[in-house]
Amino acid sequence: MTGLGIDLGSRQAKFALLDGHKIVWLKVFDTIPFYKLYGGMRGGKLTLDFDAMGLLAAEERRAAALVATGYGRNTIDLEGARVVPEIQAHVAGARFQTDLDTFTLLDMGGQDSKVARLENGILVDFVMNDKCAASSGRYLENMAKVLDISLEDLSRHYRDPVPLDATCGIFGESELIGKIIEGHSLERLCAGVNNTLIKRVAPMLRRFPTDTIVLTGGVAKSPAFKELLQEASGADIIVPKHPQHNGAIGCAVLAGR
Amino acid sequence: MVGFTTTIPLEVLIAAERRPVDLNNIFITDPDPQGLIEDAEVAGFPRNICGWIKGLYGVVRRHDIKEIVAVTEGDCSNTKALMEVLTLQGVTTVPFAYPFDRSAETLTHEIDKLARHFGVTLHQCEAARVRLERVRGKVHEIDRLNWQEDRVSGSESHTFQVCTSDMNGDVDAFEAEVDTFLAEAGRRQPLRQSLRLAYIGVPPIFADLYETLEGMGARVVFNETQRQFSMPYPVDSLVEQYRRYTYPYDIFTRLADIETEIARRRVDGVIHYVQAFCFRQIEDLIVRQRLKTPILTLEGDRPGLLDARTRIRLEGFIEMLKARKP
Repeated sequence: MTGLGIDLGSRQAKFALLDGHKIVWLKVFDTIPFYKLYGGMRGGKLTLDFDAMGLLAAEERRAAALVATGYGRNTIDLEGARVVPEIQAHVAGARFQTDLDTFTLLDMGGQDSKVARLENGILVDFVMNDKCAASSGRYLENMAKVLDISLEDLSRHYRDPVPLDATCGIFGESELIGKIIEGHSLERLCAGVNNTLIKRVAPMLRRFPTDTIVLTGGVAKSPAFKELLQEASGADIIVPKHPQHNGAIGCAVLAGR
Repeated sequence: MVGFTTTIPLEVLIAAERRPVDLNNIFITDPDPQGLIEDAEVAGFPRNICGWIKGLYGVVRRHDIKEIVAVTEGDCSNTKALMEVLTLQGVTTVPFAYPFDRSAETLTHEIDKLARHFGVTLHQCEAARVRLERVRGKVHEIDRLNWQEDRVSGSESHTFQVCTSDMNGDVDAFEAEVDTFLAEAGRRQPLRQSLRLAYIGVPPIFADLYETLEGMGARVVFNETQRQFSMPYPVDSLVEQYRRYTYPYDIFTRLADIETEIARRRVDGVIHYVQAFCFRQIEDLIVRQRLKTPILTLEGDRPGLLDARTRIRLEGFIEMLKARKP
C-alpha cells in the first residue's frame, strides 16, 4: 500500500487506499455518525479509531502514509496525518483520475463549490463559493425533501425547468412550495431545482476557460446537472470514475509521493 | 475631541488644537466592536448595511462624542444618513466633501470651510502640515522597512499607517511611539523570505488576517489604503496633498498607484478586501480586469477572527501562489 487519503467533508468522510497507481478501495461514512463512532480529541488533535472502522489491518495502516484534507483542515489536526489544503487534494485527484494537465476543475461538494484552473499541471487560478452554500449537495438534499422524492429521482430531470429565483437555499424552499401549489409537473420542478445550481456556479465558471471541465464532488453524480452544465458552458465535460472520492484519492496520491 | 468618519485634512484639527479621533480606529480597537454594531441595529440600522457605518454610530453614542466631521463625498454615501441620525440626536455634524473631479478650486473651498468652522486660517493649517510631515515621514520609513528591508511585518506596517489618520489623537505621543518602534525595528534581523502580498481595499474588519497569512508563509508588503492615510507623496501644499491622496477619488487613480507599488515591491499576489454591503465591491470587477497579478477577493462583514471558510480560501490562494512561484 502506498498511500491512504482521507477527505473530511461537511457531509461525508471519504477514504481512499492506493497501491501505486491502483485504487485498492474507496469508503464513505456519513459525517455525524462517523465522528460519533470513530472520532475523538486527544491533546488538541483529532484521533480516528482505525481498528473500529475495520478498513485495514493495523500493519497495513502503519505501512501506508496518511494524508488528509477537508472542511476540518483549519479546525481539526488529524493525528498521524499530513494535512493538505483542499484545493491541492482535489487537483491531485483530478489529475490522477483523468491524466489531464490542462482543464478547469469544478468541484461541487456538500457545501462547497470550487473552480480551479490548471494549465500544464500548474494551478493558475481558483475561486470558491463564499458565505452561501445554495449551490451544493446539501441544497439538493433539502430540495429533494421538499419535493418528497429521492436525490436520484431529483437528479434525472433537466428539461423545461420551472424558473426559481430565490438566492437563498432556505427561502428557495418556500419558493419551491409556491411552484408546487401552482401545479407544475414534478419533472419541471426537479429540472428547475437542478438549474438553480447552474445559475449559481455560472458566474464563478465564467472567469475560466471552459475547453474541458472536470466535474467532481457528489453533485457530479447528477446526470441532470451534467446535462445542464454542458448546455450552459459548451465545454467538454469529464466526470471521473469516482467524483465523490476525488479529494480522498488526491490525498492518497500525495501520500504516495 | 472631534470625531471623523474617514481621513480628513487632519491639519485643520491640529491647527485648531482640537483632539482628532478617527471613529473607525476607536471602533475596531474596542474590546467589544460587535456590541457597537448591535447598538446601531437596536437603534434601527438595517442588518444589510456595512458594519463600519454601524460601528461608527455605536462609537459616537457610547463615547458621547459631541462633534463629528462627516465625509459626505469620496467615501460611503451611507455617511449622509449616519450624519442625519446623529444630528437628530444632538451631535454637531460638519460635512466635508472630496470633489469627485479632484478640482483644486473646490477642494480649497472645502478645506477653507472646514478651517473656518474650527476658527483657524489656511496659513495655520499649512504650518500644521509641516509638523505632521515629520511624523508621516517616519511612518513612511516603517513602510520602507516592511517592503524593502523585510524587518517589519505587514501587520505592524498596517497599524502604524492606519494610525496616521488621527495620530492616535496626540501627535507628540504618537511620534514618540514611532521613534521607539523604529529604533527597535532597525536592529532586527530581516524576516525570512516568504510570499509577498499586496493588500488593497479598505482596512480589514478581521482581527487576525495578517497573522494568519504569515502563519501560511505569506507576508503583506503593501497596504494600499493604509499607506494612503499616511500621505505618501512629497507635495508642497495642503490642497495638493489631499488631491494626490487616492482613496476618495476614482478607482483608476487608485489602480495606477497599486500597479506601481506591486511592481516596485515585487508582489506575488493581491488580496482585495471588500466590505460586505459596500459600493466598493462593484469595483472588484475593474480591479480584476486591470491587474495582472493573481487576486483573491475577500469579503468581510463583522469584526472578529477569520471564519473557517475564509481561512480555507486564503489557504487555497497561498497554495496556488506557491505553486506558481518559480
